[in-house]
Amino acid sequence: MLEGEQKDPAQADRGAVGPIRSYQWILPDVGEGIHEAEIVRWLVGPGDWVGLDQPIADIQTDKSVMEIPSPVAGQVARLFAQEGQLVRIGTVLVEFAVAAPNPAGDAPNGLPPGQSPHQANLAPSSERRVLATPAVRRLARELGVNLQQVTPGGEGGRVRAEDVRRHANAPQPTDDHPVEPVEPVELVEPTAPLASSPGRMDRVPFRGTRRAIADHMVKAKFTAPHVTTMDEVDVARLVALRESLRPEAERRGVRLTYLPFVLKAAVTALREYPYLNASLDDERAEIVLKREYHIGIAVDDPTGLVVPVLRDVDQKSILQLSVELAALTEKAHARTLSVPESHGSTFTVTNFGSLGGRFATPIINYPEVAILGTGRIEQRPIVLADGSLAARPVMGVVLTFDHRVIDGGLAARFLNRVMGLLGYPERLLLEML
Amino acid sequence: MVGTPPNVAEDHLVDWFRWMITMRTFDQRAWNLQRQGKIGTYAPFSGQEAAQIGCMSALRADDWIASSYREWAGLAYFGVPLVQPLLSSAGHPDGGCMPESLNVLPIQVVIGAQLLHGVGLAWASKLQQQGRVAMTVFGDGATSQGDFHEALNLASVMKLPAIFVCQNNRWAISLPVERQMNVRSVAQRALAYDIDGFRVDGNDVLATAQVMRSVVDRVRQEQVPVLVELVTYRLGAHTTADDPTRYRDAGEQAAGAAADPLVRYAAYLTAQGLLDAAARARMQQEAQSAVDHAVAELERRGRVDAWTVFDQVYATRPAQLEEQRHELQQRVLAHRADGAGGGAR
Repeated sequence: MLEGEQKDPAQADRGAVGPIRSYQWILPDVGEGIHEAEIVRWLVGPGDWVGLDQPIADIQTDKSVMEIPSPVAGQVARLFAQEGQLVRIGTVLVEFAVAAPNPAGDAPNGLPPGQSPHQANLAPSSERRVLATPAVRRLARELGVNLQQVTPGGEGGRVRAEDVRRHANAPQPTDDHPVEPVEPVELVEPTAPLASSPGRMDRVPFRGTRRAIADHMVKAKFTAPHVTTMDEVDVARLVALRESLRPEAERRGVRLTYLPFVLKAAVTALREYPYLNASLDDERAEIVLKREYHIGIAVDDPTGLVVPVLRDVDQKSILQLSVELAALTEKAHARTLSVPESHGSTFTVTNFGSLGGRFATPIINYPEVAILGTGRIEQRPIVLADGSLAARPVMGVVLTFDHRVIDGGLAARFLNRVMGLLGYPERLLLEML
Repeated sequence: MVGTPPNVAEDHLVDWFRWMITMRTFDQRAWNLQRQGKIGTYAPFSGQEAAQIGCMSALRADDWIASSYREWAGLAYFGVPLVQPLLSSAGHPDGGCMPESLNVLPIQVVIGAQLLHGVGLAWASKLQQQGRVAMTVFGDGATSQGDFHEALNLASVMKLPAIFVCQNNRWAISLPVERQMNVRSVAQRALAYDIDGFRVDGNDVLATAQVMRSVVDRVRQEQVPVLVELVTYRLGAHTTADDPTRYRDAGEQAAGAAADPLVRYAAYLTAQGLLDAAARARMQQEAQSAVDHAVAELERRGRVDAWTVFDQVYATRPAQLEEQRHELQQRVLAHRADGAGGGAR
């Protein structure tokens, strides 16, 4: 285990070892009991000269990304894996040409002279990293289950024993290939490029905005226990009110949407239920009730979700909110939001209905404790108070809340209040400052 | 560094720094050796050199040491060859063979178990009236183990010349010290056993050496145990299998680096006129060659037959062990003869 060095087989066969020798570096267990690692990036390429301990690659294991320092000083002759490829421990990864003689003797890596070390066990590069404990991995092996295909049910996307068993018991649709490595293949000639991964797919780098959104969502979802409550509200009066106000707004150059009404209704309810306009300070074991009403507005953008912040919604008129909303949305798409326009929201509203959909289960904009979602307004059959059936414009409303801070009863009371204001928007007049 | 400097000869002061540089160089190389597959799991000690060297500096050459796996800077200073940690991490059967001339136990990987061994050694020293003390070194995590309390209690009851040195590097793998104990210091735990407890800035090699000297003298003369907490910081990972960026933020890392004992001590020595750039460069070069030498030694001794793992267990092998050794030898040789190569070695 102490040497990854071996003589060039061809030279060994001739019995003439020249001054330049081949050193093949085998991927060791760089962690503690790991059996595979992903090549994140090569820091050197064939032909490069490297010094001892000079970084040659970044590789990723279950635990972390780590830098590999060169085991020798010499010239890189070949690389045996591509970036993004998952490689088993014990695979030859790099061949160096080194000048110094080897005092350790023949074939110390366990390969007899003349036998070529094969580039074995290179798993397909499409494999994602599976989080699972050794016990679960063993169970998967025993049951012949490929962990890659198991839907994780555990925290943080971990595959648990029960997930493996469920997978094993479920009827398998197609070729459930075992976890065993692919057939050993011949050494790749230095002149030939490495075979690219087969299959029809594109691999898109996971970084930037997408990565940031992912981190934020994971943090929110795995920190706050999410519960979503849903209801429908008859918005006939709101539709009529907006229609009647639109010409006036247009005269003043403002396009009036439903969102400012939703924001006003939300803020009115937030003032009455301060625990929804809050955050949880875990460190100090305190719930922080905010006396400012800065509302995050989820904006869909091709480059990824943006949430501009409309500040002091409680102090602004519906017309003013309309104007600011239009400006913020434009800036959000142009990615020109200032810091106050993109940070510091105390509650968030997502109008998923603008893109379709009556209901959704939004993720809280952490560290806030609740998010209000509004669905598409559409004609639905509803039962009126007198028992008759009628077609009315109905909007789905949903509230996702952090159950650490808010219980179901409070959430329902809050949502009822919002619905009351959306169903009878003239009530908002009573709340005018 | 504040306070009165200890009464230490100048060449001693510089020697400590030379050892700190050597061991920092060693630590970084050992990390690389693990990544290269030349050794197995390794627990880096960077940041704790002052605490380790400072505490070992107070011992007499025949005193006992029972330490954890993160004490190589101190052990090397005490006389353990630099190849020893490499052999140990490589899983070499000689990894536990400390030099015959030193009373140093093989490193203990089980958290806190060495405290009990230290107490046993202290008890033996007392019974044999050898005038030796037994120092046992452990991390902050070990203080939450039952062994810690058993060891301190027995040493206190039996009035043993045991020195309990806690290297409080703030992190038990990923658990910060304030989350694993509800007391403000490790040192205050001494009160429970009615023994003396000290809390020292372990990143100050002078303060550490000074306190340790008076502690060792007292323990030797009065035959009582003492608990010392050396407050330090683990600059790197818990082991080569760990990634501290997952649980420590950049601000803390930076603060830790700012308190690096090498930086502090170099500043002190420079201000005292005991160190200049040329001397430092020379020391760095010597450190590099000492480390190279140890790596070469590892590679020279690195490959042994599997059945030799039995050889270091007893002075004379019992029949049963001899049988197992023979059986393993036969199997390995048969495996090799089958043309399976040397893979079983």
